Amino acid sequence: MNKFIEIAGRIGSQRHLVAIRDGFVSVMPLIIVGSLAVLINNFPAINLGGLSLDFVGMMNNAFGEGNWQGLGGNIWTASFAILGLLVAFSIGYNLARSYGVDGLASGILSVASYIMLVPVTEDWGLNFAWLGAQGLFVAIIVSIAVTELFRYLINTKLTIKMPEGVPGGVTRSFQALIPSMLILTLVAGVQLFMTLQVELSIFEVIFKVIQQPLQGFGDSLAAGLVIAFLNHILWFFGLHGTNIIGSVIEPIYLPLIEQNLAAFQAGVSAYDVPYTVTKPFLDSFVFMGGSGTTFALLLAIFIVVRKQRNHPYHQVAKLSAPAGLFNINEPVIFGLPIVLNPVMLIPFILVPVTLTIVSYVALSTGMVPKTVAIVPWTTPPIISGYLVTGGSVRGVLLQIVNLTIATAMYIPFVMAGAKAMTAEINKNKAEVNEGEKIS
Amino acid sequence: MNILLVCSAGMSTSILVEKMRTEAAARGLDATIEAIPESRLKEQTNVDVILIGPQVRYLEGKIKASVTVPVAVIDNMAYGLMKGDQVLDQALGLVQNA
Repeated sequence: MNKFIEIAGRIGSQRHLVAIRDGFVSVMPLIIVGSLAVLINNFPAINLGGLSLDFVGMMNNAFGEGNWQGLGGNIWTASFAILGLLVAFSIGYNLARSYGVDGLASGILSVASYIMLVPVTEDWGLNFAWLGAQGLFVAIIVSIAVTELFRYLINTKLTIKMPEGVPGGVTRSFQALIPSMLILTLVAGVQLFMTLQVELSIFEVIFKVIQQPLQGFGDSLAAGLVIAFLNHILWFFGLHGTNIIGSVIEPIYLPLIEQNLAAFQAGVSAYDVPYTVTKPFLDSFVFMGGSGTTFALLLAIFIVVRKQRNHPYHQVAKLSAPAGLFNINEPVIFGLPIVLNPVMLIPFILVPVTLTIVSYVALSTGMVPKTVAIVPWTTPPIISGYLVTGGSVRGVLLQIVNLTIATAMYIPFVMAGAKAMTAEINKNKAEVNEGEKIS
Repeated sequence: MNILLVCSAGMSTSILVEKMRTEAAARGLDATIEAIPESRLKEQTNVDVILIGPQVRYLEGKIKASVTVPVAVIDNMAYGLMKGDQVLDQALGLVQNA
């Protein structure tokens, strides 16, 4: 058991994985903005009992069919559409900083190397197909390789030394000169070899060999279940599950939601977009209130101990509720506690696993639209279900069904836990009374 | 005194920080208390003590190796129940024993 925690901890603090994860975290605001732009461009008309609000239709009437969507389209082009390019920089930057070497220089070198490998179109343009999510794995590999080389070279004697008294900025720019030259020459050589000898771009090779198979597996129910299971086992031991497996999840799942979004933008209905299992799928339908669907756990606690306002469970739930609304659940995980609590282990893992299956069935059979938007993970349930399904009430209904199932599953365990705790409190009280009598 | 709390996104810990600030003010302590994500730890200067959220306790070794100030993991229950006073005591104790 300690071995497990140790290994999980090592993964969670492994330098390259942390750099990948933080690289994704740094570009997330841009990705969310790009995703929301697409969502607004394609927002369905809302019908509330005869009252109809059709935003897209209204804008089309005002500015001409399709004209105003150019605005959102532009945002998309400079955010989600260049995801690969963005993370090439942010991963290089973060990794270099973790070594204490110049992050900016390393990030810029990573971008330059990435661009060098991107296939050029016939009229001398960069091929957008490879700047985005399809180029993600190349971005990861290139930025890590370039940064490792940069770090190695900058610590060797291959740098230009400046006499004392030269300003720091000047020294730094010269210091990076020879390493940059060597790295760019090497990448250029690789690119030349690929074009002349293999007649394929690195992007196509890596995409076909690594990225596509991983994505194919990622979209399966099995993968969804593995993630749900791993994440919760880690949290049960008090470790930040999403944080530890995030470096593996993001590169596999961001391209899936990107393709859903791209199809949605092109006019495909949210029911017919290609992928079922995505990060928003897990965030909105399974991790409601945080890992373990603790939103339902709080509901269960409020139902079970509603009459005992001083019960510790009630107090933890009350304390955790405001943050829980925004899917932050550390208070309930450590306070109830769920961590290392054998009673809570069963529902804490069983609930998310069940909800993953239910949601997968609901989405893949077309009862509920698939996910076509990324919202911040702190978006409260109900709102998130509506937005990620491209504005569908069915998304909200699935969340309500899921919350009902989850609450029902939590109730017996909360009852058992609360009862055990009440008994312990009474026992302690009795012991204190005994003690007083004797003294 | 500067107390720094580190967790994954700096979000859950920020709730605890509020409680610790209230407690510090009630005691008349001159303390600056901040919550930050792990990735921003390198930018911090002038820190007297670092407390780590229990969910990222595996960072303890790494953080200890990179700083000279006292570092500790926040107690599970104190963290979960957001006991600002207890965590503040933990921070003060660490500084005193350093």
